[in-house]
Order: sequence, then C-alpha cells, then structure tokens
Amino acid sequence: MRCALVQFSPHLGLIEKNLALHYQYIEQARKEKADLIIFPELSLTGYTLKDLTAEVALNPYQDQRLNQLKTLSHKIDIIVGLVEEKEKGLFYNSAVYYSQGEILAIHRKVFLPTFGLFEEGKFFATGRFFRCFSTSFGRIGLLICRDFLHYGASYCLLAGKSDLIIVISAAPGRGMSEKPGFASSEMWELMAQTISRFSTAFVIYCNRVGFEDGVVFAGGSFIYDPWGKCLLRGPDIDPAFLIQELDLENLRLARKTWSFLRDDKPEIILNSLQNLLAKNEN
Amino acid sequence: MKINPEYVTRLISTFIKEELAKFDFRKAILGLSGGLDSSVCAFLATRALGSHNVLALIMPYGKTFPEEVEDAQTVAALVGCRVLIIDIQPMVEAYFSIYPTDDPVLKGNKMARERMAILYDFSAREKALILGTSNKTELLIGYGTIHGDLACGINPLGDLYKTQIRQLADWLGVPEKIRKKKPTAGLWPGQTDEEEIGLSYDELDSILYELVDLRKSRLELISQGYDPQKVNRVWEMMRRSEFKRRMPPILKLSSRTVGHDFLYPYDWDR
Repeated sequence: MRCALVQFSPHLGLIEKNLALHYQYIEQARKEKADLIIFPELSLTGYTLKDLTAEVALNPYQDQRLNQLKTLSHKIDIIVGLVEEKEKGLFYNSAVYYSQGEILAIHRKVFLPTFGLFEEGKFFATGRFFRCFSTSFGRIGLLICRDFLHYGASYCLLAGKSDLIIVISAAPGRGMSEKPGFASSEMWELMAQTISRFSTAFVIYCNRVGFEDGVVFAGGSFIYDPWGKCLLRGPDIDPAFLIQELDLENLRLARKTWSFLRDDKPEIILNSLQNLLAKNEN
Repeated sequence: MKINPEYVTRLISTFIKEELAKFDFRKAILGLSGGLDSSVCAFLATRALGSHNVLALIMPYGKTFPEEVEDAQTVAALVGCRVLIIDIQPMVEAYFSIYPTDDPVLKGNKMARERMAILYDFSAREKALILGTSNKTELLIGYGTIHGDLACGINPLGDLYKTQIRQLADWLGVPEKIRKKKPTAGLWPGQTDEEEIGLSYDELDSILYELVDLRKSRLELISQGYDPQKVNRVWEMMRRSEFKRRMPPILKLSSRTVGHDFLYPYDWDR
C-alpha cells in the first residue's frame, strides 16, 4: 500500500481555509496513487485553540461541511484531526478515519497533556477507549500525540492485533543542543522503534509544523516497519508531503521470525491490571 | 547551553517570516544600539525578510555614545537594511527640564521609553512589525525597562541566553568588535551590565540555566558548589521582576474576565 503523510501547518481556528488545504493535499495524494492520506492532530482547526475549542467544535456524523471529505474517501482513505462535539458541550480531540464515503472509526484522545505549556485538560473531554478496526489494508489502531508516549495505549493496539499503529500529532519542539533538531523529537522515535519492533507492526507518525503563539511544531514525521526499522523520516520544522510504499508482507515475515504477537497474553495482563487496581498496589 | 546556530537561525528566520505573514506585515522595524542583541536581530531579520524590508532605527541620546552609533551604522551597512538616525535628546530633555533628576536609572528608563514611543510611531507609519531584542537572561532577571526596551510586536531572541546569542553572533558573522565589547544598557558612559548586575554573563547564564531550564532548586545549586550569595541574588532578581514579564493583574469581578478566563490564542484566526 502507499501511504501519504501531510506535514503541514493549519490555520488556527479557520476550518474552511483548512478544509481547502486538505482537498489540495488529497488531490496530490491521489495523483501519487496513495491508498491512505494522514493529516496531523487537529488538522482542521489548529492546535492552540483555548477558548476557540468550543467555536470550532463539530459533529462529524452530521456536519455538512465535511461531506466533501466523505465523498473524497471513495477514492482514498483519509485520516483528519478535529474537535468533536460528541455530546452537547463536550469537546474531544479526535482523529476521524474516512473510508468508502463513510466514517469508519473515530479515536478520541485519552491522554490530554496538561502541564507546562500544555493545557488540553482545560479544554477537552477525555476519550475513554483504544480501539482497533479492520480496513482493506489490515487492522488499524489510531492514537493522538501524547497517547503514544503512554505505552499502555500501544499495548492495547497490540492486544487488538493492529497491523498499522497510526499516530497523528501536534508535538512542539523543545530543548536545544549542538545538534540540529529538537531534543524532544528523539523520544518519539525511540518509542516508535520499540513499539514497532515489539508489536511487529508498522508505526506511522504524522506531526505538524508551523508556529502558534511562539510555539514551534517540530515536524519529523516518520514510519517504522514491523522490524523496528525506520522507512521514512520527514524534515524537522519544514512542511513536507511524504509518500511511502509499505510492503505489508513484512508483517508476516516479522511475525514468523518474532512471535511477540502470537505469544502475547492479554488475559493475563488484564487479570494482573485488575488485581493491581483492586489491591491498590500501584 | 550549546546551540546549533545554523538550526536556530533557520528557526528564527522562519518564525519572523511567518509571524509577519500572519499579521499582514511585510516589513519589520527594530532599534539598533550597536550592541550584540540588536545586531544579531538585524542579521536575522534581513535574512528572513530581505534587507529592503527591514528598517533599523538608531536612536542615540545626543552625542553621548558616538562609537555605539558608528557600530550600529556598520551593522546596518553590513546587512544592507534601511536605517534612520533619530536623536532622542530634544524630547527627553524637554521632559527633564520640567522635572529634573540626577538619577541615572530614571533617565535611562525615560530614554528607553522614548525609543519605544518612536518605534511604535514608525511601526504605524511604515506598517512594520517591531522586533524585540531582549534576550532570555535579561527577561529572567528583569534587566530591562517595562514598556521601554521590553516592548515589541514579537521577540525572536527571548528564549536565548546572552551566551547563546554570542554563539549565534559568531556564526552569523557579526563584526568582532561588536561581539567582543562589554554589554551595556548605555545608562552612563563606562557602564557595563556585568558590573551593574554584579555577575558575569557566564556566571549568570549558568545559574539561570540550572534554575530555569534544569528546574533545580537553589539548595541543589549551592550544594553543587555555586556561590550561595550569587545564587540568591539571581533568584531575587527573578522573583522581583515577574511583573515585567506579565500583563498586569485585572481585578476579577464578572464571570468571564480578560486575562483570567477569556482565553483566546494570540494567533487567533491566523
């Protein structure tokens, strides 16, 4: 399969303007014969929304403005990020997966960073589940940004037998050294290398670029294969439209060599978690 | 504390370019003093926007610091930006002739605010966004005049310590004379920042870096071997200058208040 990652900078608070950009990139991805196009976290709205959160929130099952995205998904699967008003007045940081003219799945961000420069917990409601779903390419699990840094989230997607773990992100760059790039970029790659290898799954990470209120988003989108090998690394801080061919046969090969997935015991993990929580041992 | 100057330059140039575009500016304006920070800012701004889109104002107080004016002119010529020399003495003297003082700090603050007023006036005349040149060291210890040199449209240098600005200056090719001179706020002839602050920038920056970036406590620094007096002095300067880094508190009365729970992003709809 061919996968397109859009490492771009949305306009903060301007859905129509961002939708127009989405259509352009989708058109480009179709020309490049991509099967799936992935946009970063909150790609329709921008990230530093604060009180704009409520104003840009929408219900993706009902909002007419998203009809064209639905239609376009007859030709290519599409993942976008938006503010979802699932219940009235409750706003979720959501990733929406469109396929065959329908919404196939929505992931609502569970781990909302609220410390230092992050304020998501102030404005967003917390997602309650990690799910996997089947597509024509295989099993997919979606995560949003910080979700991926809590490895329990990825574990759920392993237990759900994900073939592709897809992370959409708006991760700022932080920390400088003599090397180019931000110190904070390394942690994403470290996690991706580990998770892809020990889940024997592809890990696809699409991060945005651009500046909001003086914060710079780091870019550096990437794809790791089920062996833990980096297939693609986008540039730091610059916008990029990235295309990568994924050889899904590698899932079989990796799992024949390394039996992590076959040997996994989610029921024992579940029992252990229940015991730990019941005995308050954590 | 080491930075990659090439990467940082790329980031700052992109930031300047994108912020201007967001707010529909094509030009930037800055005050050029002949010192390190504003020189670095001039180099970065012209890289980002092209020299014809940058206006540098050199604003001396009469003939007090002729060498600084020369150095500022050298920088402006090197980067090729537009430049204007405006003597602030008549305006500042007009005020002090009515309310005289011998206090150099009062005089310095008045001068800094006169320069600010001129920058904002030219910002409107020229439709040019004001680039701030306060570095992280100054911001953290409050070594600047509130509503004076701290005032700006955007500050591309505010997260770089003085010693990091020096690394950037080396890489950008800022003339050696400017890189090697002792930093001064220009309050009186012969004044230097380091004497007035009581610590060298190297000492100051390493203490700030440990306290701020590495989030260590004063006690930890002292047990690491830092001079307790110096650590406490830096801490006090930080503590006492928070008001310079913030919008003033608004008395909250209603259910939604500017600065408290009316919280829109700076880049609202940009």
